[in-house]
Amino acid sequence: MYKINEQQIDYILNDISARGIEMEGLQLNLLDHICCIIEQELEENGDFERGYHAVIRRFYKDKLSEIEEETHLLLTNKNYYVMKKVMITSGTFSAAALTTGIILKYLHAPGASIMMILGIGIASLIFLPLLVTLKIKEQQKAKDKLLIVLGSISAIMMSLAILFKIQHWPGANMMGLISPAILALVFLPIYFVGGIRNPETKLNTIVSSVLIVLGCGLFFSLTITPQGVKADSVRVTGSYLRAEQVVKNEEQQVARLAKADTVNTTAEALTAVYKACLELKTDALEFAAGTTTIGDDFETRNELISNAPASDYMNNKEGAEAKLAKLSAAVYYYNKIAPASLKAIPVKGNIVDPKEHFGMARVAALISDIQQIQLLVLQNQRELSVGEKGMVSAQ
Amino acid sequence: MVYSSELIKGTLKTIVLKLLEDNNRMYGYEITQRVKELTFDRIQITEGALYPTLHVLEEDGLVTTELEYNGKRVRKYYSLSPEGKNKTKEKVSELADFMNTMKFLLDIKNQSA
Repeated sequence: MYKINEQQIDYILNDISARGIEMEGLQLNLLDHICCIIEQELEENGDFERGYHAVIRRFYKDKLSEIEEETHLLLTNKNYYVMKKVMITSGTFSAAALTTGIILKYLHAPGASIMMILGIGIASLIFLPLLVTLKIKEQQKAKDKLLIVLGSISAIMMSLAILFKIQHWPGANMMGLISPAILALVFLPIYFVGGIRNPETKLNTIVSSVLIVLGCGLFFSLTITPQGVKADSVRVTGSYLRAEQVVKNEEQQVARLAKADTVNTTAEALTAVYKACLELKTDALEFAAGTTTIGDDFETRNELISNAPASDYMNNKEGAEAKLAKLSAAVYYYNKIAPASLKAIPVKGNIVDPKEHFGMARVAALISDIQQIQLLVLQNQRELSVGEKGMVSAQ
Repeated sequence: MVYSSELIKGTLKTIVLKLLEDNNRMYGYEITQRVKELTFDRIQITEGALYPTLHVLEEDGLVTTELEYNGKRVRKYYSLSPEGKNKTKEKVSELADFMNTMKFLLDIKNQSA
């Protein structure tokens, strides 16, 4: 039996690392294995080098580094299966959560928003990145890898843009513009030029490119441009000012009629409603426009009523809820005591309706509701004054 | 008759786990020799398949390793972890079941009969 000396061990170690075995554990494994075989098979006075080269040749087909490559491959493939599992689970979960969220939203049930956030969030932050990582591994060419990365960044951004949009978080419009822009201006040219040259992929490339252009076009046509937002605000603000003018005119006429300060519970109730209207309206206007004194020159001064959602105002502005509750209570009280000769203030679907969810409604709609209540109050006040005068003249 | 490497590849993990279950602790060369002995040279595990598999088993936590130093030579002994013991039973029964299914699928008559 042959006995290997320390010098020969160094020789073997040097040789296998020169042949591309770099993992330390694997080096030790192979070293011991080779020593065992040589000691087992070589004669006591045999030629070590020749024996070694004969043994090492049995370890591989083309080159020794195959063993290390195989080890790496098996170790990465293990992650591959875990990643694939997580990808499928997260994908299924996010689809289910999103669907549940949408159903809950239609039913006006609680939990809709959290389910939708979970659904879109998991899809864009776990499912899509994993999908990309796995897809990249399958591609050989750097260009194909780049295309996958570009496409997925765009997809992730697009779904986050929609999430931000429905949650009214800032940055939604920006992402909504950038993501189709990446798709149309960066991804598409690279994809198109690469695909059209190859006769095999030519048709698919053309069809997919047309679909991408159409998709981006549809998305862009859905997105409201900054100019569009401004034009909308200008229109809303103009409408507010006109309504305000009508209210002012009516106010003056009523003031002219009501010469004698008639004090009774009905008149007091109407005054209370009117005061509550003014308080809430001023507060809401300040929230949506940043000022309470909007004049005819609002466009040049850029004092516009924004498209802020009413729910934002209610949840974020201190005292908003209390002011609304006060108005609501005043309206209900008036409706209860109003004599038959006067008209009640309609409540259903109005902001003072406690069943009213603001949903998609904007602050502008809330202000418009208040103006309508103001007009109804003024009309009743006029009726009250005329009625009294009628009574006076009858006496 | 020596079996093809494709056949051995799918069962190598099970073979290694089962040997470790029966022998407490083993090193790489010992595993290849034991398989050769037990199968009368019909199954010869190549180094190129054995060591990558051992590394994966170690990474998965199914086997634990001990190093023994003898001068400059280091011998890496492998033994089953508690998790590996459970996995061995699972793998062996899976393979047994698979062999029955293959027998049925390929319509193999019991040749000794």
